[in-house]
Amino acid sequence: MKTRILSLVLMAAFSLSSYAQKISTRNGYIKFFSETSVENIKAENNQVSSVIDLETGQFAFLVQIKAFQFEKALMQEHFNENYMESGKYPKASFKGNIAGFEKLDLSKDGKYEVNFEGTMTIHGTDRTISEPATIMVKGGEISLTSSFNLSPEEYGVEIPASKRDNIAESLEITVKMNYDKK
Amino acid sequence: MTKSNILKGGLLTGLLFCFTQFGAQAQDDLLDMLEDEQGPTTEYAFATFKGTKIVNLQSPELPGKGVLQYTILHRFGSFSDDFFYNFLGLDNAQVRLTLDYSICDWLNIGIGHSGVNKVYDGFVKYRLFRQSKGAKNFPFTITGFSGLYYSALRFPEGVPFNESDRLSYVHELVVARKFNQKFSAEIVPTVTHFNLVDSADFSNDVYSIGLAARYKFTRMHSINVEYVYQLNPNSFLDPESNNLSPYPNALSVGVDIETGGHVFQLFLTNSRGVSEPYVFSQSTGNWLDGDIHFGFNISRVFTIKRPKTPDEES
Repeated sequence: MKTRILSLVLMAAFSLSSYAQKISTRNGYIKFFSETSVENIKAENNQVSSVIDLETGQFAFLVQIKAFQFEKALMQEHFNENYMESGKYPKASFKGNIAGFEKLDLSKDGKYEVNFEGTMTIHGTDRTISEPATIMVKGGEISLTSSFNLSPEEYGVEIPASKRDNIAESLEITVKMNYDKK
Repeated sequence: MTKSNILKGGLLTGLLFCFTQFGAQAQDDLLDMLEDEQGPTTEYAFATFKGTKIVNLQSPELPGKGVLQYTILHRFGSFSDDFFYNFLGLDNAQVRLTLDYSICDWLNIGIGHSGVNKVYDGFVKYRLFRQSKGAKNFPFTITGFSGLYYSALRFPEGVPFNESDRLSYVHELVVARKFNQKFSAEIVPTVTHFNLVDSADFSNDVYSIGLAARYKFTRMHSINVEYVYQLNPNSFLDPESNNLSPYPNALSVGVDIETGGHVFQLFLTNSRGVSEPYVFSQSTGNWLDGDIHFGFNISRVFTIKRPKTPDEES
């Protein structure tokens, strides 16, 4: 009986320790950039939360849509009100995993080219994506950067014909996460 | 209770404890974990109305910090006043121009000029409370507005007057609520003060309650209605009946069209005056008599001071 109790205690301890095997940040950075001949639009958000489970390679991030900062206040309002409908869909998120994560040795400094795969949710619409990213380890600090394109219309964000010339069909997304030390 | 029963009970509790522990950990859902970490957030209502004005009443909106807004407001001649002869009222257009600037997100100051009574004015608009839900709950956005109006109209020769007789004041308290993406409404207690009125029988202060609502029928278009009910209206000499009759309440119906940097507001109103004191307490038109004016407000914004954006390198 004692051994069984001990094993339960051990399991509990194990589950606690595995809980700690996650790295996270609350000030991750995401930028999107739209380039057309009429105008360039840039918006930045440095309040992105993200987590990586170092055991399983699971990876997620959560974005407050209203935290995107534009260069023009009215543009920011239209982005929220007319396009992203952020009153209805306040957050965008990604949930998935980093492919081949078990092969990485994040205990030493290095730079790894990886792919992350999973479900991106924007404007209440889910899409399966697979995009490249770079994981950097330097002095025990882990960071992840990624750059990819996405089309707002794939997520049900309608662009009216009158704004078609102002907003690019494909937006350039830049992701930079510096994870807190464990 | 036997010893083994106690042991069993203890074991069961241990097991339960472990399962709950697993449950917390097997919160494999990393997103839930991020949500939990972020804690409860506060969602503030925004874009309750498209423009900073509905038609004549203020909306709760202010331009963003560092934004300069230029507006051109027009009221054409009335439908009942030789409408076609006056080229659909265009020949009798009254104009108001305003320029305002937001020093911060909650404070806006501006100046304006209106043709009716040759009024020069200065105004200040400030947001007191924001409608929010989530961690912080508040049902209304409350915005204050105060204007000082100087009429440069020439006094008749030989009539003595003080310079202060030219002044009037308007204070509005806009209590607005965005009910959903499409429907917003506001109630606006308003006081209009004239330093000089036409007769000693008239009140210098006119109290009124403004009511306004909008319904967005597409993302870029909304229909707006606005009514300003006077509690103690003053009277004017009606040229038709040659009797003193109380000033009618101002009723306006319009459409907002948003095109990026502009908001076009097209409307019908019975108020000829374009600046607040004359709209709220000296509108002479009567809808039922066809004293309706077509009008428009056009706003254009310029970003003078760009908001700080997060630095990519940080």
